Amino acid sequence: MKRFEEKWTAWLDGQLSGRELAEFEASLPDKAAAEAEKTGARKLRQLLKDQLGVRALTNEEFFSHQIHERIAQESGDVSPASGRHRIESSTWWTIPRLLSAGTVSVAVFLVCTVLLMHEKKPTEESQYLTQILNARVDPVISPNATVSIFEVKQDRVTVLWTEGLQSLPADYAAK
Amino acid sequence: MGRSPAYVIAVVALIISATPALQAAQTVWSGLVIAENVAQPQPIPPELTRIEGSLKAFFGYNQFQVIGQSQKKLKTGQEDWLATSKFFGLYVDARGESEAGYVLNLKLYKEKELLLETDAKLSKRSPLVIKGPQVGGGQLLLVLIVQ
Repeated sequence: MKRFEEKWTAWLDGQLSGRELAEFEASLPDKAAAEAEKTGARKLRQLLKDQLGVRALTNEEFFSHQIHERIAQESGDVSPASGRHRIESSTWWTIPRLLSAGTVSVAVFLVCTVLLMHEKKPTEESQYLTQILNARVDPVISPNATVSIFEVKQDRVTVLWTEGLQSLPADYAAK
Repeated sequence: MGRSPAYVIAVVALIISATPALQAAQTVWSGLVIAENVAQPQPIPPELTRIEGSLKAFFGYNQFQVIGQSQKKLKTGQEDWLATSKFFGLYVDARGESEAGYVLNLKLYKEKELLLETDAKLSKRSPLVIKGPQVGGGQLLLVLIVQ
């Protein structure tokens, strides 16, 4: 046996007939108000049918839609990836990575500086001192002469020390 | 605005490149010195003051007298000059300049006799002393100092 709500819905939809229709309409307390509500429901249904109904596509629109769908499917593998790449490329230089890169750069700079300073130090030190490139003593005049080189750290003096040169009388000390 | 760093770099480079040229004009003092031990030593010549300690400690003499000297202002680093005494002559031939100093060829003559020849790179911060022959009770020293 149908409940009142089921019969009301069926009545609104015009699905009651015969004895069932007569019995339902007789049970209505205010038939005029019910008829007005039925009319309103029909109008609303018609309005919804007109406004929200699926619009049939024309042939051109249908094919265009199909082609767009296919393109979207075929490029489906690339688009998400490229999108991901865009995100990755835009987010690669994050602050932690920048800090790391900066730290590494400073470390490399310091290492290179220290290495260069270590390599350059002896050269700079030798530049401060006078260097004897070669020395020759006349073997005929001083056959037993020898030469030695000394560096006096105190005043950074370089000494070419000769030994065995011909001795001369004190007269040679004249100005 | 974008060119400003380039101008700054150019100016700095010019200053750096000009610096050696500004340093180039330096004077080399060359001296023939007799070192002796005497009872009443004379004060050391002013040219030798900066190496007085080293001379006394290394050679063991208490008096140093200049018997011949020369002061040469080097502009190109290719100059040559002579420091002479009565019997000795020190001929110096500068053969180029570097950042560290001057390349010199030195020849010590006794009258016209070549006693000693040497090539040296004379540093602007490091004097050169050459021990020459024994002269009487003393010692002939050749001293070169970039002043």
